[in-house]
Amino acid sequence: MKLLQNKQSVLSFVFWLLLTVFIAWDYAKSADINQREEPPLIAAGSGKAPTGAHCSLPK
Amino acid sequence: MKRWLLTAILAVFFLFLLMSVYVRQAVLFLVGIGLGATLAATRFGFTTGWRQLVTERDPSGAAGQLLLLALAALLAMPLLGQFPELQAALVPPSISLIVGAFVFGIAMQVADGCGSGTLYKAGLGIPLNMGILPLFALGSFLGASHLQGWLALGQIEPIGFVQSWGVPIALLLTAGLLLGLAALMRLWVGPSKTWFSKRWVWGAVLLALFATLNLILAGQPWGVVYGFGLWAGKLVTAAGMFDPTSNAFWSQASNAKHLGESVLLDVTSITNIGILAGALWVSMKKKASNTSFTASNHAATLTAKQWAVGLLAGLVMGYSSRLAFGCNVGAMLSGISTGSVHGWIWLPLAFAGTLIGLKIRHAVFNDNSAD
Repeated sequence: MKLLQNKQSVLSFVFWLLLTVFIAWDYAKSADINQREEPPLIAAGSGKAPTGAHCSLPK
Repeated sequence: MKRWLLTAILAVFFLFLLMSVYVRQAVLFLVGIGLGATLAATRFGFTTGWRQLVTERDPSGAAGQLLLLALAALLAMPLLGQFPELQAALVPPSISLIVGAFVFGIAMQVADGCGSGTLYKAGLGIPLNMGILPLFALGSFLGASHLQGWLALGQIEPIGFVQSWGVPIALLLTAGLLLGLAALMRLWVGPSKTWFSKRWVWGAVLLALFATLNLILAGQPWGVVYGFGLWAGKLVTAAGMFDPTSNAFWSQASNAKHLGESVLLDVTSITNIGILAGALWVSMKKKASNTSFTASNHAATLTAKQWAVGLLAGLVMGYSSRLAFGCNVGAMLSGISTGSVHGWIWLPLAFAGTLIGLKIRHAVFNDNSAD
């Protein structure tokens, strides 16, 4: 039981480590974020079309 | 890790998003945490609910999902009618959708989790789901890369209830279809069954609220799988294994832009990260940890063959989810709640796939139990 718990903890640690490294790597290599292009906090009522992508986008 | 330490780390990440990314992304991260915490705390598994319905004739999970669909539609449709800048999850009914939804239904039972289920279970620390996540991402990337070819097989124009008939009729139509599903469920499960259990109802109410917040803030419905595909796309592009400019999907202006900018700017990615974090936060609560460990006992003792089948199912699930324009969240919940006909095509096809997936699950894992 203890062994399984330890195994799960190690796997969990590796999982989160890889995710963190990926996000940091991606942030470092990606184009700089231009905060002047910041979309409105609330899209509803802003009059601006959403800029995000969604699974439902066929293109 | 102690829960207070995780809370502090999440607060620092939130502040980082606030200061160095966008305020909206920081708030969407909180929405993601809410979604993940709700999914994990109420164990709101779309896959589990369907499995309980089929194998145990227990309607509580599926009824919770119907409640979620009804509440989400009740909140989303008037918003779509009021604010033209909000996007419904409208996609073309197509061969791609039919094949994708059916195959996804098979794979999600074998992999024991749909898009949101894989996320929250990975966040809870369940080994198989942690292993599935990267393959789900790879499959999602490949599916997106092949999507134009699948769409060329046949499609019709998207049909939206709200856009076609207005909010009142869209709501009535949705309510009628949901009641029709409830009637079919009643025929299947028979009399004297408990339809509503506390955790499923709480899950439905909270998920509907967070999904609506996502729509109001981001201007688009809650989605999961686009973010996965984007993550894998970035890795294979950086490794020089893929040229996005030669691909019909990834060379589209918006997708190429997402490939070139941080995932922290992508709506589905930021809520996905939040879902993982929210589930991790819940797992640190003693009671939830026990739940997690019970589930992980099963996963940790899987044979090599079971691991291989589970991981393969994760890859197939990712691929098929892109053909189907989303998983239970992006296609079913967001499609139906925003009045897209494709959501109503997705649901029965994925359910038909589930019936086959349960047989495979039983044969390979000797298990049709619900977590």
